Amino acid sequence: MSDRIARSHGLEAFFGAAESVSGAGVEIALPKNRGFLNLRLDPRRERAVRAADEVLGQGLPLAANSFTGGERRVYWLSPDEWLVETRAEEAGALCGELEAALAGYHAAINDISGGQVALRLTGPEARTILSKGCTLDPHPREFAPGQCARAGFARATVLLACIDETPTYAVVVGRSFADYLCHWLANAAGL
Amino acid sequence: MLLIECPWCGPHAETEFSYGGEAGIVRPANPDALSDAEWADYLFYRSNPRGAHRELWNHARGCRRWFVVERDTVTNRIAGSFRLDAAGSGPDAVAGKQAGQDD
Repeated sequence: MSDRIARSHGLEAFFGAAESVSGAGVEIALPKNRGFLNLRLDPRRERAVRAADEVLGQGLPLAANSFTGGERRVYWLSPDEWLVETRAEEAGALCGELEAALAGYHAAINDISGGQVALRLTGPEARTILSKGCTLDPHPREFAPGQCARAGFARATVLLACIDETPTYAVVVGRSFADYLCHWLANAAGL
Repeated sequence: MLLIECPWCGPHAETEFSYGGEAGIVRPANPDALSDAEWADYLFYRSNPRGAHRELWNHARGCRRWFVVERDTVTNRIAGSFRLDAAGSGPDAVAGKQAGQDD
């Protein structure tokens, strides 16, 4: 009999029992139980896009570097690729539903929950921290709520999304980079 | 640092991109028919102009798309960016599938 392996985000040592760490004007939080799906689909296939929209309960963002949704988000990654962020417990079922809805189309859906970590960076100084290590211009004129982009952040590559005007940012990073990025963020925040 | 315009994502810092060399190098249809000199010319020889240069860039830390940038090798001034697919406006664009074929 094989043992069941508990899913880990690899940040137990950094966060401990806490859900967030706070510095002056910024909070680094680890939202619990996030699941991720990668969806590839040619957006010119209008029927397939509609089928995906129906399953997701929201429209795929077709404009470059934008995202849709609240609790369940769909981020634009490239002209034919999206990242779906949803509750971890429903990621598997959603993956199956998308596969069924897109059967017959040239599409790919993969559950990549185990490889991603979503962090939330919020507070009046969050933008200062972004500008310290990010290849994007985080000024709200260039990166406003509703926008997202893959970008270099410190020595990692992340998906950044501007959630609201606080500002609050979602930072989705590869699991193996998460510990490094958290320490970098804590250092930048003066923690 | 260059500010490179990705045809999809807009202007981004050079560090998000990787360079892919001269654009428009087409693999010969029948390599067996080439002489060694012709094969070497395809593999290794590039125009290396002083002035306007069409080159491939990849938005590696962004949307991961390849596209063509026209850059002046003397001034580093970038004249434009072009997609490689059918919607591209540049001379390197290849004919591809048209939109909405399944509907």
